[in-house]
Amino acid sequence: MSAFLEILRPGFLLRDALVGSVLVGIVCPLVGVYFVLRRMIFLGVALPQLSAAGIAFAFLVHRTVVGPHVHLEVGERALARLGASAFTLCGILVLAAFERRGRGIVEARIGVTYAAAGALTILFLAADPWGEAQMVNLLKGDLLATTERSLAVLASVLGAVVIVLLAFQKEFLLVSFDRDLAVVFGKAAGLWDMVLYLVCGVTISFGVMTAGPLVTFGFLVAPPLTARLITRHMMSFSVASAALGGVAAFAGFYCAYRYDWPLGPAEVAVAVSLLVAVGAMVRLWRALGLRPT
Amino acid sequence: MAEPLLILRDVSLGYENRVILEHVDLELGRGEFVALLGPNGAGKTTLLRGIAGLIPPLAGMVHYGFDRAASPLGYVPQRDTLDPTFPLTVREVVLMGTYARLRPLRPVARAQRLLAARCLELVGLGALAEQRFASLSGGQMQRVLIARALAAEPRLLLLDEPTAGVDAEATAAIMEVVGRLNRSDGLTVLLVTHQVGMLGGLASAVVWVQDGRAVRGRIEEMLSPERIAGVLGAGSPRG
Repeated sequence: MSAFLEILRPGFLLRDALVGSVLVGIVCPLVGVYFVLRRMIFLGVALPQLSAAGIAFAFLVHRTVVGPHVHLEVGERALARLGASAFTLCGILVLAAFERRGRGIVEARIGVTYAAAGALTILFLAADPWGEAQMVNLLKGDLLATTERSLAVLASVLGAVVIVLLAFQKEFLLVSFDRDLAVVFGKAAGLWDMVLYLVCGVTISFGVMTAGPLVTFGFLVAPPLTARLITRHMMSFSVASAALGGVAAFAGFYCAYRYDWPLGPAEVAVAVSLLVAVGAMVRLWRALGLRPT
Repeated sequence: MAEPLLILRDVSLGYENRVILEHVDLELGRGEFVALLGPNGAGKTTLLRGIAGLIPPLAGMVHYGFDRAASPLGYVPQRDTLDPTFPLTVREVVLMGTYARLRPLRPVARAQRLLAARCLELVGLGALAEQRFASLSGGQMQRVLIARALAAEPRLLLLDEPTAGVDAEATAAIMEVVGRLNRSDGLTVLLVTHQVGMLGGLASAVVWVQDGRAVRGRIEEMLSPERIAGVLGAGSPRG
């Protein structure tokens, strides 16, 4: 209990890491809602990996052109953000273009992207041995290294993502649920797809920068899958996904702090535990006839 | 024929330069109820999608006798094209029809909610507004999609096999709704179907689609026994 009260104190040493964690936990599921509904879940694995490759690439280019960077300096995070965003956005736009043309097998494209991104990450790191050791933490998602400044940037970007998702909710829903109807209504379906993909790309690249590929993927998928079991409206689905993500991030942080677990895996484990628990509860309720189907 | 609401002139339609229909000349008058018939794979849905603007014509011109921005098309797709995993209530699905006239950043207001409720009542499903869309029967889903199309306040209603895979009772209910909208509200209807038997007393004309062509005629002259056999898949009509 004392650990719980301690992390709630305003002067808590890891306050920025906690807030960053919860922010990622809330916003990733809001984007993940569309990954789940559009059946693009595996894209949630490939894109964070691509983002990691982008970070490694940015450092390699910096080392080759300018020289070695200094770990934990301000420019390091900016450089990593640039690489992550560029790779993620390019990746999502290329995959979206292939999807629109409807050629090949979706899973195959995503699988190849994941494998290529994983290989490239290691190759870029191997080519930059000077920075390799320092970069490992960043690629894993260095939540504990979150600073006030990086938190401010994260909050601004994820805040903008939430505003865009809310402002254009009806457009995103229409192109996701019935793209043909959007076209019949004369809406710029391609443009709305693109805006949605860009929002996804930005969220993923900042999520990876803050929490790493594993946590980002976990929060993209697990909370929406949990929320889908207990909601019947689109709005409540989104709100419940974000709330579950926030709760899982907070609880994961508490467990990591209390029991000295690694932070990212602890958060994902809590999110998945919630999914399993809610799934079991819904099944039980249905079996007992207590919940309308 | 009444004043044309839709004109197709020498239209060719297809996918990636594979031509499915060629030299289609067609007019649809205001208030008409026209059925699109033909054997499986003849191009009925392709023609409907071309008219809806979902596939661009490879040649020719599709002209609407109204401003599509001011008066959107009502479109009822085949229901199995929609993903049942979306957590949407019937009300939310019908509300999507009102998006046709809503610009970005304009929220769904009370007026749109009332319109959606009215459209749902029109198809006789007002009581199911809070049900999950995915939990409805095939016939009910189809009526919800008709309500959604009506929520766009269209002049032209396009329906793609609205009675496919639904039982006789649901088919009758769907056709009663569409027929009533055509007779009472003067809504122009273009409907793709295989169920020739249900058209009696409703459709004023038939567009027969076969061998890459579409030919319009009166219902009694277009529905020869051979053609009906072709529609039902009992044999190959001579077209």
